[in-house]
Amino acid sequence: MVDAARHPKITIKTYTNVERVEGYVGNFKVQLREKARFVKRERCNGCGECVKVCPIDIPNYFEMNLAPHKAIYIPMSQSVPLTYTIDMDACIHCYKCVEACGALEAIDFSQEEKVTWEDIGSIIVATGFNHFDPSPMTEYGYGKFPNVITAMEMERLNNSAGPTTGNLMRPSDSRNPNRVAIINCVGSRDKRFNPWCSNFCCMYALKNAVLLKQMNPEIDLTIYYMDIRTPGKGYEEFYDRAREMGIHFIQGRPSLITEDAETHNLHIHSEDIGLGKVVEHEYDMVMLNQAGVPQPDVDTVSSVLNITQSPGGWFMEYHPKLRPIDTPTDGIFLAGACQGLKDIPASVASGSAAASRSSRILHSDEWEIEPSVALVWVDRCISAQGKQCGLCAKACPYNAINVEVGTAAEVIPAKCHGCGGCVAECPHNAITQKHFTDAQVLAQIRALLAENPEEKIFAFRCHWCSYGGADLAGTSHFDYSANERGIRVMCSARMDSDFIYEAFRLGAGAVLFSGCHPQDCHYITGQRVGATRAERLLKTFEKMGMTPGRFRVEWISAAEGDKYARVINDMQKVIDSIPREQLMKEIDTLRPQMEQRSRRMYETPQINDAVTYSDKLTAILTHKEGQDGGA
Amino acid sequence: MEEHKAPVTQSFADQVRAAPGGDHLDLCFSCGTCVSKCLIQQKKEPEYNPRRLLRMVMMDMREETYQSPTTWLCSACDLCYPACPQEIHISSLIGAVKTLALEAGYSSPLETVSVDESLCSGCAICVMSCPYGAPHLINKEVNGEMDRFSEVDANLCMGCGVCVAACPMGAIARPGVANADILPQVKIKSKKDVPSLVVFICDWSLRSVEDEALLESYPTNVRVIHIPCSGRIDPQLALYALSSGIDGVLVFGCQPGECHYKRGTYVSECKISLLDKMLGQMEVNEGRVRFVRIGTQDWGRVRNEIDQMLKDLAMIKEVH
Repeated sequence: MVDAARHPKITIKTYTNVERVEGYVGNFKVQLREKARFVKRERCNGCGECVKVCPIDIPNYFEMNLAPHKAIYIPMSQSVPLTYTIDMDACIHCYKCVEACGALEAIDFSQEEKVTWEDIGSIIVATGFNHFDPSPMTEYGYGKFPNVITAMEMERLNNSAGPTTGNLMRPSDSRNPNRVAIINCVGSRDKRFNPWCSNFCCMYALKNAVLLKQMNPEIDLTIYYMDIRTPGKGYEEFYDRAREMGIHFIQGRPSLITEDAETHNLHIHSEDIGLGKVVEHEYDMVMLNQAGVPQPDVDTVSSVLNITQSPGGWFMEYHPKLRPIDTPTDGIFLAGACQGLKDIPASVASGSAAASRSSRILHSDEWEIEPSVALVWVDRCISAQGKQCGLCAKACPYNAINVEVGTAAEVIPAKCHGCGGCVAECPHNAITQKHFTDAQVLAQIRALLAENPEEKIFAFRCHWCSYGGADLAGTSHFDYSANERGIRVMCSARMDSDFIYEAFRLGAGAVLFSGCHPQDCHYITGQRVGATRAERLLKTFEKMGMTPGRFRVEWISAAEGDKYARVINDMQKVIDSIPREQLMKEIDTLRPQMEQRSRRMYETPQINDAVTYSDKLTAILTHKEGQDGGA
Repeated sequence: MEEHKAPVTQSFADQVRAAPGGDHLDLCFSCGTCVSKCLIQQKKEPEYNPRRLLRMVMMDMREETYQSPTTWLCSACDLCYPACPQEIHISSLIGAVKTLALEAGYSSPLETVSVDESLCSGCAICVMSCPYGAPHLINKEVNGEMDRFSEVDANLCMGCGVCVAACPMGAIARPGVANADILPQVKIKSKKDVPSLVVFICDWSLRSVEDEALLESYPTNVRVIHIPCSGRIDPQLALYALSSGIDGVLVFGCQPGECHYKRGTYVSECKISLLDKMLGQMEVNEGRVRFVRIGTQDWGRVRNEIDQMLKDLAMIKEVH
């Protein structure tokens, strides 16, 4: 931290909130609110004379409230920057600190918070995690029994820089404990509180046990555990070492801690699963190894940065296996436990990775974006005519579309990833997508259904999953109906209902709507946009009276080649079970209804002429790039 | 060709999974919290082990499960459910196993209550009071006339005695804690200067060995009577004690939510506190009957409460 503070190219802004973030990759504008310290950073030299005279004591949060600090304070001696801060909630304005500071004149009671805007190229989120408060777990009596302490309190009590200078004491009588128990998984792997495994606490329990044993070899140490998880390099060896040192391990989750009212000793009740018996042991002190939980203000941070959260409140990565550092918003990266609980080596690795990923942005003059970005036809957008709409912005998983009533919707190309959800959602065909324009897709549909359409099974496949599934079915030589004809779009969100109607209008025997499984979507929530539309279509076709099974919705991953083949064969069976005349007759009856539903598409000018449309599009795009000056 | 359908056989584990709450069966990762939380294991049957029972169900060990004491002794107090980190409703799983065992012809080995038909009036108060739905009314011919009686399903009865206290006719009895067993114990040779006290204590609310030993050590002016549940305490017992010259009655029950028999402690607390108020109206001093809740972490509280009660009674005695 001190090294970072001294580095000429690093500025550390402490005591500062990020209030707003605007812009996109390489061109973020960030509003910062620096709170008032009431001490001038450029004058204060950290001598600490002010602390000596301050009459106010308040609990020191850094010491887990086990020791006091003054109203003018630094949380710990290695604080960066070494500038004191006055806690105005506690200060009584006696101005003794001003006197003590003397000629340095570093203390300034008139200081006010500063709001500034900064230009930022990329953002790394490293907000870390918080500790679970075990007081709701009444069975362990934290807060009620003085000798039940948390892991962080233990950390301060056995630290030589801590309030007891490393002399481990019981809070009830300041006696050195001889029998200490550590309970693992307090609040983690517990569906009542946090269902996840907190990753580092098994090693943390072992580390603390070994440390205490080294400080006092006579100490009797027991670790209560459900499973000891030591998957890291050298971790299992450390576990062996702890066992060799004579630390006791009891497999069994304690159900109750009771306290002897006179001695304040604690009794832990648990089943010893190795013995198959319930045991009760007495200890002088019990440490609860708490779960790690997200910071309390994750919601604020995620709304300021516009990044999403995974279940539980951890920030969401772009892809859990392949891109664990990136967020769905380009130029914002995650480091450390804010993305999910990590131990120190993993946090350091993710921090380094995030730094190198951002330096890629900072060192490049140009930034490559997806080729299939969306574009708005300004004259068709009804928002420009002063009407409320915003369906495109709602469908966008990346928040790349700004909609303000009175002006046309605006797509920020640097944020757009080209899923096409907005294109399909727009009821006025006012958005299109390069390489997947309505005209291009319609031309493909028409070409594939030109001959004997009633025999064909027409499949819409998403690029990332179902197309891969179909590919796998082919390369694995799975048998499936030769009547299948399919096209590729980027995401199931792009599968416009007009396309489905068009395929049926042309007389397709059956239509498949396929995409990724909900949790696998390449475009975060694109599949959800597609799935909602597909469900609506299923209901519409049912109402129209179409034979069930002619329109089918399936989520097929790239690894499910067999499923793709099976689904196509099932659909073939549906077509085979209906006489051909009936198939055609059904379409003839429904055609007027479907044409009525996609009426707007036919009314849109130039939609049928693929060549001119593409030319026009390129012209718009080049014009736009010229205007923005290569943003 | 005619198709022959093989009879669908459902495994034992699947049968349990199909019961309400059974879909959580496979979530159990054997942490042992339920076992150390369970009072039956602490007080009655050391072999009692819900964790092992769930394991046996998962491994399809049908007969062993039916014979296990865990199947039969669980009173569905649900102390384990709020403690379980996987939120498995263990008592409903055990209940499902018990139902299957009953269907297979096994029967409950527990000591249960019995109804004296010569006293029963068929009022159905027991039916409403039972936490387990064990009693029900039957029509039976007696001396050529149809009459209604209460009958207790021995497989559902857990033997708490709440119905014994509720029955206005005294027709229901539980071996060991019938009125005939308790009344002779409510007898203290009272001395003029020392207050005498009857303590009814629910066996489940006593959580530590020290407390149990302590109860043995009181002098003759304190009479301790063990009962299966504070719900067994009938205001008549308290009135009998007071009218036979005893100065006070103290009832120990469990915390709400910790009662071994679902709602026995609630019923008893209502009755005793109401009795206390009524005694006040009858110009007997309030505070002569008292109900005290003992929680799982309240070690050593029994002594304090008894001492406090004796002190209060001594005060009342002094005034009068």
